[in-house]
Amino acid sequence: MEIRDLEEKARRVRLSVLESIVASGKGHIGGTYSCTDLLVALYYAGILRFNFRDPRWPDRDRFLIGKGHACLALYSIFTDLGLLPDARFDTYGQDGGLGGQLDTSIPGVEYNTGSYGHVLGIAAGIALAAKMDQKSLRAYALMGDAEMYEGSVWEAIVFAGHHKLDRLVGIIDRNRLSTTDMLDDDSFFKDFKEKMRSFDWDCHEFNGHSFPEILDVFDRIRNALRPVMLIAHTVKGKGISFMENGIKWHHGVPTATEAERARRELVGKDQVAHVR
Amino acid sequence: MSDKDVRDAFFDEVYTIGGQDKDFVFLTDDMDAFSLRRFKQDFPSQFVNIGVAEQNMINLAAGLSLCGKKVFVYGIASYVTLRCFEQIKVNLCSMNIPVTIIGVGAGFSFSFDGPTHHGTQDIAVMRTLPEITLYNPSDSSAASRCAWLAYEGKGPVYVRLEKGVYPSLGYGEDELADGFKIVRPLQGLNIVSSGFMTHEALRLAEGLKKRDVRAGVVDLFRLKPVRETFLAKVVEKSKVLVTVEDNSLVGGIGTIVGEILADAGVSIRLKRIGVRDKQFLHYGSRAWLHQLNGLDAESLLASVSGT
Repeated sequence: MEIRDLEEKARRVRLSVLESIVASGKGHIGGTYSCTDLLVALYYAGILRFNFRDPRWPDRDRFLIGKGHACLALYSIFTDLGLLPDARFDTYGQDGGLGGQLDTSIPGVEYNTGSYGHVLGIAAGIALAAKMDQKSLRAYALMGDAEMYEGSVWEAIVFAGHHKLDRLVGIIDRNRLSTTDMLDDDSFFKDFKEKMRSFDWDCHEFNGHSFPEILDVFDRIRNALRPVMLIAHTVKGKGISFMENGIKWHHGVPTATEAERARRELVGKDQVAHVR
Repeated sequence: MSDKDVRDAFFDEVYTIGGQDKDFVFLTDDMDAFSLRRFKQDFPSQFVNIGVAEQNMINLAAGLSLCGKKVFVYGIASYVTLRCFEQIKVNLCSMNIPVTIIGVGAGFSFSFDGPTHHGTQDIAVMRTLPEITLYNPSDSSAASRCAWLAYEGKGPVYVRLEKGVYPSLGYGEDELADGFKIVRPLQGLNIVSSGFMTHEALRLAEGLKKRDVRAGVVDLFRLKPVRETFLAKVVEKSKVLVTVEDNSLVGGIGTIVGEILADAGVSIRLKRIGVRDKQFLHYGSRAWLHQLNGLDAESLLASVSGT
């Protein structure tokens, strides 16, 4: 898929997320938009090896998301890929419908999300199984930067480095905001790349909203000999000017006026509204 | 009496399983057992020492299992349950992943290592997990069978293991399926227990006999689920039930039996004897810790005689 097609997919995902949040009054728009471009790249740019006609194909790459509150972006992508019927997508926010977290009853979902700090360890287990069976499948774990505070993430980092789990890829959505606070380059986040390398990981940083950079970094790690941690520098609320870097948009729901402004920014003047 | 330690009985079967099934993987948080050494030696690619990182051990087990591996994880009972409870809840149980957790050190097994090592709260905590199966084998033959039941299980399993050699309780296949065995014929007064304490309960019943009090003894091999047959075969034939355990009285075997009585609307007397709801910072022999909790032979005799 061409860069402009990926950008178009990302725009449509953002619009669909916006409409769902506005319609249901529920969702985490800021953290969904910070990883939207990453998710679009993973699913549409041929990074993830999977078969959407057979989501349980045993040799597929596994993608696990720790920040499951970004589920709406995945619901939207899965619907577009035909994994989820449109009618099911529309149940988001309803009793018994698609929920605020992902679970494995949904085709394409590998893991029941909701609690932080687990996906890197589970992905490490998948990478360990791949190593044992000499399979080339890869295990990807996308985490929020706030999630890195969980101790279990570091247990996985130590283990994967020591065991040279070269099929493991961690991705940090570095949007620099947690639910209530700023996550600056303090003692925890400064020199992060060096920290990872000292644990025998490869580590790369890139702009998580630039498709050329995203594609380039995944291309570079194709033949990694060690686990890889990718730091995607992102912006919470990316794509809507008044939401970008705004802490209230962790789980804020736009008012009707804000929604209309957001819609205009996403759709553009010359395009039709209500695209999904 | 079998001369095998219950751990060895269990791990000898694990060795057989590992030899037969190349997709079988054994993880440990740096916990050893004599009979595990040959597994490690003969099947090195199926054995991983994770180090003391229980949360990661459960997560790895989940990942391995999601790729078709059959995984057993092993550590001290108190750590492989409480330290990584949320990992078990979310990453194993919520997806019904067939991983077996083996916790050694039921009750006060690790008596001298203090309350951090005491396995007195694991039952209470683990039984809140929907659909998990809990086993507590009381002799080596039940421990051997337990390894296979866990291996063949379709969902998450927790096995709590004692340490040491115990007289055989002579479990048959039907009794294993029931999850309990009447190990001393039922009377009006019956004692329900599990593991190490079942053998103490048998001694207690002997002591009661000398005081002309007759008591039956029931061993609970499976703490969850407890089958309906327990109601018909034990509860409905009892006038008084006594539970004896070196687990917390909050949520232990006494609670399990109490819930069965309440749910069935059975109004019989239930006396629960176990570890009191009190901070317990003591180090010593299991016998001494039992004394402090009224679980030694003399105290048990005194409290049950008056029931």
